[in-house]
Amino acid sequence: MDHPRELIVTEPRVWDRPVVSVPVLVCLSLVGGQLPSFSASANLYTLGTGGALIWLGLGARVSRRPAPRRLGAGVVWWLVPVAVFGVFEGTTFVLHAGDEFPTLSRLADPLLEDELVRSAAWFAWLAAFWGLVRR
Amino acid sequence: MMRALAIGGFVTALALFVAVEWAARRPGSRIPSSADVCAYVMRYEVGPVPVGRIGLFGFWWWLGWHFLAR
Repeated sequence: MDHPRELIVTEPRVWDRPVVSVPVLVCLSLVGGQLPSFSASANLYTLGTGGALIWLGLGARVSRRPAPRRLGAGVVWWLVPVAVFGVFEGTTFVLHAGDEFPTLSRLADPLLEDELVRSAAWFAWLAAFWGLVRR
Repeated sequence: MMRALAIGGFVTALALFVAVEWAARRPGSRIPSSADVCAYVMRYEVGPVPVGRIGLFGFWWWLGWHFLAR
């Protein structure tokens, strides 16, 4: 008998618990933070970690939380920050004015040169990715 | 001047993201959290292909590569 996927909640495996996953993500982030931009190692590491998470996310190896069947009308509030970001990112990208009117990437580059900030950014990216895998 | 405008715009967008997420997490809120929005998008399938899941994973992968490898 088939069950709707939203109703299937399996017991989390040992490695699927925060006490395991958070230290693993921290270690991966600390390694990632050491790799400089535009290096082959940074490219391979990003592609490798992301690829592994996508492999986990598309398979049935990780238990998933149930997804909502529908979203309420309040979802339109999300358009406000998305629109503000889209206007500024789009304008700065199209005008292509460099440091005079920089895109978010250009603003972030000098900050990400610091290894600690870079590791924190790695952790944020991996943690959000892990969250997506589990949804 | 234009640089300050760009920084102000991105900071405003970030503050708005945080504000909407905060509003969504209040008890009884009618606003879905960002996690719920992502989960809903990831439910979208075309036949047996989980298009929403592949699309969101692909976008997040690209975002990490763009900021952390380039």
